[in-house]
Amino acid sequence: MSESIKSSEAYVKKFAFRPFDGVRRGRIYRLGAISWQWWIHEWKRSKAVKFLIGFLIFTFILMNMFLLFTRDMMLAMDPDLTTNDLLEDNLFTMVRGIVSFGISFEVESDNGMSEAQFNFGGTSIFILILLVIVGSGLIADDISNQTTEIYYSKLEKYEYVLGKFLAFFIFGNIVLTLPYVFEFFLLVVGLGNIDLITAFPALVHVILFTEIITITYSAIILAFSSLTNRRLYAGLTSFMLIFTVNMIVSSLTLSGGEAGFEILFDVLTVLLLTSYILTGATTVEYRSFRGIQSINLIDGVGIEGWMVLGALGLFILLGFLIVVVQVWRHSK
Amino acid sequence: METEIIVTDSLTKFYGKIRGIEDISVKIPSGGVGFLGPNAAGKTTLIRTLLGIIRPTRGSAQVLGYDIRHEINEVRDRIGYVPEFNTSFIPDTTAMSFVAFCGRMNGLSYPESKQRASDSLFYVGLGEERYRKFDTFSLGMKQKVKLAVALVHDPEIIICDEPTNGLDPSGRVQMLELIRNLQIDEGKNVILSSHLLRDVEKTTDYALVISEGEILAKGNIRELTANKRSTVSVKVKSKYNDLLEALEVNGLNVWTDGAFIEVEKTPAVEKEIFIIANRIGVDIRYLGSRSRSLEDVFVSLFKEQEVQIH
Ligand SMILES: Nc1ncnc2c1ncn2[C@@H]1O[C@H](COP(=O)(O)OP(=O)(O)OP(=O)(O)O)[C@@H](O)[C@H]1O
Ligand SMILES: [Mg+2]
Repeated sequence: MSESIKSSEAYVKKFAFRPFDGVRRGRIYRLGAISWQWWIHEWKRSKAVKFLIGFLIFTFILMNMFLLFTRDMMLAMDPDLTTNDLLEDNLFTMVRGIVSFGISFEVESDNGMSEAQFNFGGTSIFILILLVIVGSGLIADDISNQTTEIYYSKLEKYEYVLGKFLAFFIFGNIVLTLPYVFEFFLLVVGLGNIDLITAFPALVHVILFTEIITITYSAIILAFSSLTNRRLYAGLTSFMLIFTVNMIVSSLTLSGGEAGFEILFDVLTVLLLTSYILTGATTVEYRSFRGIQSINLIDGVGIEGWMVLGALGLFILLGFLIVVVQVWRHSK
Repeated sequence: METEIIVTDSLTKFYGKIRGIEDISVKIPSGGVGFLGPNAAGKTTLIRTLLGIIRPTRGSAQVLGYDIRHEINEVRDRIGYVPEFNTSFIPDTTAMSFVAFCGRMNGLSYPESKQRASDSLFYVGLGEERYRKFDTFSLGMKQKVKLAVALVHDPEIIICDEPTNGLDPSGRVQMLELIRNLQIDEGKNVILSSHLLRDVEKTTDYALVISEGEILAKGNIRELTANKRSTVSVKVKSKYNDLLEALEVNGLNVWTDGAFIEVEKTPAVEKEIFIIANRIGVDIRYLGSRSRSLEDVFVSLFKEQEVQIH
């Protein structure tokens, strides 16, 4: 503010209620405003968020270094192995790591041996914690602070809901999609000798899969956020649903045969299977704490591909529905 | 009343079976208007319906010529709303950041929203505190922030729902003054909803008296409180009934109110009362004119209503 303005009164006289004669921005801008406001707020609010984002960047660098150091060794061990294979394997393992804690799947390779895979479960739990921390306050904070009435006096309720989802969606894109897309290009440069056209589907997979994860998480986390006015409870319950169910289901598994239908209740496993479906895999091995089972996704026995996609759709739909119902209920 | 800012046509809202408002058909003039009514009268319901926060069960309304069913976003950009709830705001945001954000929700560009947020906060008297976080704000300050939020997008109508809730006497005076200034100095249309008659009387010229979801009375506050029902109170030492009779015989409209005789005010009625009292030999101890405050109108209206109901 300029020096010439001495008292607040003078300021009022000078500027108050300049009539607004500009053009009002459109609806999309306003949705963006909701997202932006929330983003800024979360970033300023929580040290944990900054720490977790820092930590994620750190683990990323670590993983890359590990891969690049072992590249030559792996290429020497297997004469058929190309850098394209390395890129694909590592990238897929990494994105699948976002949703696998105790469980990992392996596609059977042609020679019947399962391929060596790293488990990046460590990263995935931090990503989940991060998303839960920032997402659980999205609606709960507005309910507990009674700011919803102000929103509804300016926007439609569906715009409010969309704005909140958009906020989460953008955040998901920044902490999930963007790093893995970046990772793709890092590997292209780092591994060398990459045929970009062959590698391109891997990039598409990374984008598609991380978006699906973001949408699923947002549906679940926002649903819990709208169910309570405490962000702590919202956060804990969504974490429990995602994480604990994963743990319980994977410890229920008995060895051998087809995996049971109970894994359809486990969001993370369903997401993981979706990744395999996206790559066109038909048989995957399900490794839980207690054993290995194989799942044939198209044989008409046990769990099928469409069931997995259906279960995922149901999770998302249910989440969205809860948010919408709750928002309408609160505004009455 | 030059122009109407809000026109409603049998606007009705039922919450299930509970009546919020029923068949409200009014034309609200520009300037200052008070919505006056006891708790659960339906004031908030009416306001929320006008803002499209809840949908009317039936009926329609136009705000500044825009229909609330089809052009609600146009309506919202032209109304500033101070909700009655004790909004505590997100504790760790600054007033400036939140008010600017609210401006953006009404379509202001980013720099414009910052500028206007600052203006509004200065206007409500929080200029110095605008970069402080909400968790350090008192209730009165938060109430002012709500007003700033209502002002930030330069609305034509400002609706304040019980803006003095929870304020101490000086805070209350300040708030009402701000609202009155908005109307007088800034030429805004102000709607003040309150169950406190004095607040409305002090702030606006026109009032809508609402009770049990219906409009009981509407009009200029002067006219509502004015003479047509103003009375002259008379107190006598003795011969109370004699005087009463004599006044009635002389064609005056009289009734009793405890120890007082109330006479409907007509020009020079006081003189007439003296003459009559003199004639029948009654000593008058007190004779005073009583202008009805809005409170009296209010109370008598409710009494009438109760009589009708029971
Ligand atoms: N969300 C709701 N669900 C059910 N009934 C409601 C709801 N909101 C208001 N009502 C009912 O509608 C009627 C009018 O309420 P309203 O809040 O509009 O009154 P008011 O005049 O604003 O009262 P107050 O001075 O207490 O704020 C009341 O009988 C109330 O119980
Ligand atoms: Mg109310």
